[in-house]
Amino acid sequence: MNTEPHIASAFDRDLEAIQAMIMKMGGLVEAAILDAAQALESRDEDMANGVRKGDEAIDALEFRIQQEAARVIALRAPTAGDLRTVLTVMKIAASLERMGDYAKNMAKRAVVLTQMSPIEGSTGTVRRMARSVSVMLKDVLDAYIHRDVELATNVRKRDVDVDQIYNTLFRALLTHMMEDPRNITACMHLHFIAKNVERMGDHATTIAEQVIYLVTGTPVEESRPKGDTTSISHIED
Amino acid sequence: MNDMRIVERDVDQNGTKITARGVQVYYSDTHALKDVDVDILDKTVTAFIGPSGCGKSTFLRCLNRMNDTIPICRVEGMIKMDGEDIYDAKVDPVQLRARVGMVFQKPNPFPKSIYENVAYGPKIHGLTNSRAELDEIVESSLRRAALWNEVKDRLDSPGTGLSGGQQQRLCIARAVATSPEVLLMDEPCSALDPIATAQVEELIDELRSQFSVVIVTHSMQQAARVSQRTAFFHMGHLVEYGETGQIFTTPRDPRTESYITGRIG
Repeated sequence: MNTEPHIASAFDRDLEAIQAMIMKMGGLVEAAILDAAQALESRDEDMANGVRKGDEAIDALEFRIQQEAARVIALRAPTAGDLRTVLTVMKIAASLERMGDYAKNMAKRAVVLTQMSPIEGSTGTVRRMARSVSVMLKDVLDAYIHRDVELATNVRKRDVDVDQIYNTLFRALLTHMMEDPRNITACMHLHFIAKNVERMGDHATTIAEQVIYLVTGTPVEESRPKGDTTSISHIED
Repeated sequence: MNDMRIVERDVDQNGTKITARGVQVYYSDTHALKDVDVDILDKTVTAFIGPSGCGKSTFLRCLNRMNDTIPICRVEGMIKMDGEDIYDAKVDPVQLRARVGMVFQKPNPFPKSIYENVAYGPKIHGLTNSRAELDEIVESSLRRAALWNEVKDRLDSPGTGLSGGQQQRLCIARAVATSPEVLLMDEPCSALDPIATAQVEELIDELRSQFSVVIVTHSMQQAARVSQRTAFFHMGHLVEYGETGQIFTTPRDPRTESYITGRIG
């Protein structure tokens, strides 16, 4: 990909401004994921409410990015690498916005869970998952800004680890629910939280694929390793 | 799967109209065009893009031997149309130019009536036997150039009295009147307003059902809009030639990308 400056320097400034907004959005989402998991583990209602409130800023950034991208398309008619920059910016912003929503939903459930008795081991596992996802997100944003296909490919492969933690937690929650039906409400909330984190990992993977497309010009088609097996699991009698 | 295109631009099944191999052009000591190989497809719009002085117009002018009129110009290499060498001694350049028409940057109607402007080519090439036949050619050519409705009631008024956009369409009508097989256009819209440009572009798209159109343009957006094949020239070299969508989304040569994204002039 060509990274020389344009003759029209305002075009460079436009593209840089949009990408700076992506990085800012990425930073907010990363913090939201970690804070939501932390709030869940330490049963910290204030922190959880902070994550819920913070989602507005993420949504506002996404809106601005989509608007700016539309402007660049209309005013600059980008081609080749510039066109891919604008197209990927739009998709990455959408993925980040979804990740922010999942973090917000986690925080909401974390508040509800403070009213219930804790499920042993579960919140620590969620936090480990959230940490993996936040590192994936950090790396994929680094890969984006440095146009690093190798790092993006590596992130794409790492989603399988998140899936595996999710599988383990899924089984553990099933066991808790079978042992004592009074745990069901809490376990259902925890399961949705875990599923949210797992979905965030998928979005980080989507962003990695956008980075690969941005740099190489070819959409990623080969299937990636998947580790989520819960959709085919069942309870043995 | 990868070749599914929303905009139908697949002209791969069209045959080759013009084949150029190892074309070199010199203006005295200046080596203007260096070893150009290209296949121009039949019934296809091919756009030549590139910075000023890159050789695109020079190459265009090789295709109907317009460069013969420049004494210091020397053309080497081979250019064949339908398998015949157009630089062969047997070929009459005047006849060749009837088969390979040309439209220039500035509208240049003859200082004659609208009718005479269009009728001139068919007359001198002896394409008609009667006034009725000539009338028919004039009308159909003006219709093909999307000008008929605007001028049908004043065919005897001077061509130079038309607006710029109309004059350019008159020149296109004049070029198509001799039923050429290839139409060369050297920046045909650079003197036109956006509406007239859109009309000429629409016309180019219609003309490609009948013959090959080769257009030199400084507007990359125009090349992207009207052509199915794009050739990028830079410093006398043909850098990249390919399907227009591919050139504008995933160019293979870094120089092409630099040019179309506005990084080198």
